[in-house]
Amino acid sequence: MAAPMELFCWAGGWGLPSVDPDCLAVLTYARFTGAPLKVHRVSSPWRSPSGRLPALKTRDEGTISKTQQIITHLRKQKYNADYDLSATQGADTLAFVSLLEEKLLPVLIHTFWVDAKNYVEHTRKWYAETIPFPLNFFLPNCMHKQHVERLQLMWGDGYMEDEEKLEKELYRDARECLTLLSQRLGSQKFFFGDSPASLDAFVFSRLAPLLKAKLPNGKLQQHLKSLQNLCNYCTSILSLYFPWDGGEMHPQPHTAPLGCPPQKKKKKHHETQHWCLAALCSPQVTSPPVPRGLGVPRVATQRRTPTSGATSCCRCWWGWQPCWATPS
Amino acid sequence: MWNEGCVLLMGCSAPFSLKAFLQMCNLPVRVVCRANAEYMSPSGKVPFIHVGNQVVSELGPIVQFVKAKGHSLSDGLDEVQKAEMKAYMELVNNMLLTAELYLQWCDDVTVEEITHPRYGSPYPWPLNRILAYQKQWEIRRKMKAIGWAGKSLEQVLEDVDQCCQALSQRLGTQPYFFNKQPTELDALVFGHLFTILTTQLTTDELSEKVKNYGNLTAFCRRIEQQYFEGHDKDNSGTAAPRSAKRSLLR
Repeated sequence: MAAPMELFCWAGGWGLPSVDPDCLAVLTYARFTGAPLKVHRVSSPWRSPSGRLPALKTRDEGTISKTQQIITHLRKQKYNADYDLSATQGADTLAFVSLLEEKLLPVLIHTFWVDAKNYVEHTRKWYAETIPFPLNFFLPNCMHKQHVERLQLMWGDGYMEDEEKLEKELYRDARECLTLLSQRLGSQKFFFGDSPASLDAFVFSRLAPLLKAKLPNGKLQQHLKSLQNLCNYCTSILSLYFPWDGGEMHPQPHTAPLGCPPQKKKKKHHETQHWCLAALCSPQVTSPPVPRGLGVPRVATQRRTPTSGATSCCRCWWGWQPCWATPS
Repeated sequence: MWNEGCVLLMGCSAPFSLKAFLQMCNLPVRVVCRANAEYMSPSGKVPFIHVGNQVVSELGPIVQFVKAKGHSLSDGLDEVQKAEMKAYMELVNNMLLTAELYLQWCDDVTVEEITHPRYGSPYPWPLNRILAYQKQWEIRRKMKAIGWAGKSLEQVLEDVDQCCQALSQRLGTQPYFFNKQPTELDALVFGHLFTILTTQLTTDELSEKVKNYGNLTAFCRRIEQQYFEGHDKDNSGTAAPRSAKRSLLR
């Protein structure tokens, strides 16, 4: 049996196993197919072998970083969620993924990373609190600039400067895309019947952060919440395939997994410990644009066996492990 | 619209799509070619239409404009079909259009032998080289933003093949994508495929990918025959030189 592949992805938050849409797409696909992955939920791309997230570390082909390439690799390893689809359904998958990537994803990026209120009060705050010190001082802004540049190249400068035009055309297209998805889904459980496919992984990964995040400026979010079948769709996938919030990944059978014991209490205990120890380690900084609170060193959680609950506690990003960190 | 003598893929697929769309709506259209068409357009992109005192550019807004005037090809579709039509139009924009741009501006052989000379042909030296390099730089930056800069030509051709396969599956044996009546999707697909099949490039690999799917080439011939053959006679006064006329029916 081959050694399990290792997946590095952004940490969970807002009630989701990962906050990043691309990481969430890969995680969801792996859950649908039962691919045995060792998941490392990390708090900065520097912990990833390729420097980017998501990243799949394979035995034979090195590290793969693009979402589509990771899914293609999993398919080659016989973890194929589209196995039962007809040729027309396969073609529809390609078309709807294009629709998502062209019309919805850029506007999602704008909502989370460029809209001033959302970025400052929600996105930057979360990333600054999650990313370890001292990366948390500049990495969120770096990511923000990358996203702004990407949107400028995709849309042209005219849209970025003209709020009205942006709202009228691009947000309107995104709302239309959500409505189209809702119409296509109808009252089905998944897009192609009763079994999930790769399209479901993509749709879920784009919709779930929009649904779950508590955005101050939520015009697109309001529209999604008005489409009841899409909300139910996201909630049911979360409860079926990620029954515990940000929990560890276990190999699942193809049908819906149930009955894995939740690890919430254990995680909260460790989280509290991390926070207290971080308070001892790092000084408070209050001047803007430093985030409120501290750069809490978050740990790249490893797969925990029942006896090794004490591993990987409060290891700061530079690898130092204080001797008092081991819980009793 | 640019002079039809120029063989830029991108410059030609959109006008063909638009022309097919307007013919399908039974709207009379007069084609005029200008070298500075990009600068005349309100958004900087071709094609654009001039109706009365209004100027509308790009296929999407033109379709909306025509719809607002009471002409629409997709009224007979139900909600699910409309969703599928929009999705397939995005597929064509995402894959075929980007592949055309890649081939023109990121493939070094094509850039050197075809794109630069043709793009700069209306202008004197050194403006022809400067404008061509400027456009190339702009396109390459955009490719980087959408993640296509790292792709090789083989990967791009593979994507085109995947896209054509999806379109071929969807079309099946039907005359149009949504059975009996043409829609905006048919016009868009026709524009792109027709351009790919009739444009002379350094290699035939791109057109070979399309030719692998018999129903797609038959589809293009059918639309050309039905909507372009008779109407070209009306445009003979203003269209580009006859020698540059493209056709699949020869």
